[in-house]
Amino acid sequence: MKFVRRYAQLTPMASSKRIIWVMGVLLAILTVLGPVYLLVKYSISDGASINTGGRPIPFWPLHPTLSVYGYLFSDRHFYTVLGNSLIIALLTVACSMLLGVPAAYILGRYKIPGRRLVLLGIISVRLFPDIASVIPIVEFFIFIGAHQTYWGVILSHTLLALPYVIFIGMGAFETIPQELEDQASVMGANRFQTFYSVLLPLAVPGLAAAAIYTFLLSWDEFIFIYFLTFGRQEMFTLTLYLNGLKYAEPQNLLAATSVCLSIPVIAFSMVVQRYMVAGISSGSIK
Amino acid sequence: MADVVLKSLTKKYGNHVVVDHLNLAIKEGEFVTLLGPSGCGKTTLLRMIAGLEKVDGGEIVIGGKRYTALPAQKRNLAMVFQSYALFPHMSIRNNIIFGLRLKRIAPIKIEQKLTWIVNMLHLKGLEDRLPKQVSGGQRQRVALARALVLDPDVLLLDEPLSNLDAALRETAIEELKNIHRKVGKTIIYVTHNQIEAMTMSERIALLNNGIIEQYETPKQLYDHPATMFTAEFIGSPPMNFFTGEISIEGRTAGVKTSIGFLRLNKDRSRRIISMAGRKVTVGIRPHNIYYVEHVAQRRYTDANIELVIELVENMGDRSLIVGKSSGGTLVRFMVTREEEFLPGRTMHVFIDGRSLHLFDPLLKLNIFGQDGTI
Repeated sequence: MKFVRRYAQLTPMASSKRIIWVMGVLLAILTVLGPVYLLVKYSISDGASINTGGRPIPFWPLHPTLSVYGYLFSDRHFYTVLGNSLIIALLTVACSMLLGVPAAYILGRYKIPGRRLVLLGIISVRLFPDIASVIPIVEFFIFIGAHQTYWGVILSHTLLALPYVIFIGMGAFETIPQELEDQASVMGANRFQTFYSVLLPLAVPGLAAAAIYTFLLSWDEFIFIYFLTFGRQEMFTLTLYLNGLKYAEPQNLLAATSVCLSIPVIAFSMVVQRYMVAGISSGSIK
Repeated sequence: MADVVLKSLTKKYGNHVVVDHLNLAIKEGEFVTLLGPSGCGKTTLLRMIAGLEKVDGGEIVIGGKRYTALPAQKRNLAMVFQSYALFPHMSIRNNIIFGLRLKRIAPIKIEQKLTWIVNMLHLKGLEDRLPKQVSGGQRQRVALARALVLDPDVLLLDEPLSNLDAALRETAIEELKNIHRKVGKTIIYVTHNQIEAMTMSERIALLNNGIIEQYETPKQLYDHPATMFTAEFIGSPPMNFFTGEISIEGRTAGVKTSIGFLRLNKDRSRRIISMAGRKVTVGIRPHNIYYVEHVAQRRYTDANIELVIELVENMGDRSLIVGKSSGGTLVRFMVTREEEFLPGRTMHVFIDGRSLHLFDPLLKLNIFGQDGTI
């Protein structure tokens, strides 16, 4: 509060407004960091700091320990699960991009007949809740033999991500000025060359956002993978592994697994975010 | 390098005809400007030549080859857009060599061409910067360099100077004229700015509603406007127009208007003497109405008009005065600023009878024809 008071003194005008602003920022930080704190705290807690027997749970573990991490990383099954999650998420990103980017390019830059109908069709895929569509889709996957296979899981995740990739990507392609495309074709570029050397590089920030979203979607996905793996342990991903731990006591193992679930997501987002530089197309017009 | 021939070229958007059976021939190496108000179809016409707009009728022939249905990337043309359209993610170097790379030119030759164009357009040292890291004038030169380096048959320029400030525009105009002299390319230049058009081009095609009003040298366009539209559009401040009737006074024919009887020079007077009674619109440029205290200096053909000053507009070295005649007609004319003029003062001005333009009020055409002959 000392900080708040000192900050308010810097600008005597509208100091009450400043205080509200600072409080808002602190609240936002608390909302973001609060759960992270709880998760990390539980993951390094010893049993006595969780099951306190009626006494209040301490603000910081009584005896901080990394023992559950040690247990987790000595479990061979955990490595398989981590690998499964990574492979499925990355291949889902690759598949969704490969299928979604060309679609986004066409829908974003050409006035094709029936464009609105196509867009409606694409977005309608996401109108049903996952839980409603999972049974028919799994039935179909069993029919085509994609049940309990990696490519089946990747296909199902691509199915979920594709509408988002197309919509985000379409926005990215739409905002590129027409004159850049015209200029490229006057300079002798055919459609593919224009796409590859002008439009695609300029759409990268939007496409990177779509990639992050797709990665997260696949990494967090539970329902489809639950039904598609159908108890086949060696295909489990982190979400299924976590599901198996939900009744385990004490909760420190659950918390440690959750931390492991979060770290790759943060890492992937940080890598891809480098391509999301805002305002990359400034300087082309004028 | 090549000549450009447009035959009966037509472009429609739905029922709206933007370019209407337009014919135009541009000589090899000529600098031609498509001039006109916004919406006259000049940019559409340029985009049709570039291959960016579908042609709805007629033909485009460049260097003897039919270009009408050829896609843009197969025409050996270059274009500079109003916005420059530099690729924002590429360095200046890559922007300039983009087209050369597409043509699969040997890297050594690309380097040579790059060095040549960078030196010619004073872009040395900027090669590794991004477009957003250079100034507006430099961007304009990069856009020009990118076009010229391709050695196009025809260079198409779509208002390339409109984003520059006044001082930069002046130098850019000089530079563009120099470049044209050096490389001798056929240039088609689109602008709505008549000063750019008048100073740079060898010929101007004045467009209005998708048709060419007049296609002439800048001097001809100014001195002998063939239509009322040309007369109105070319020249700043704009021409005065009065309605009148051809009549005979004494032994010469002239025009009776609301500001008085305006005589024509002897040659032209003789040619309209048979048209007495015909209604005409008289055009006179503000520059051809003059003011002198010494009445002795005036010619016989100069009409003496009495005006009351309504408005004085300072234009730097001179002033534009709007005066009102006794009949209520407003007349614009220029004075040098040696004397101070104040609104409300009465003054006498002289209208130079040699510089009167007569138009048919219905056909809107110069009654003396395009070359001043009937």
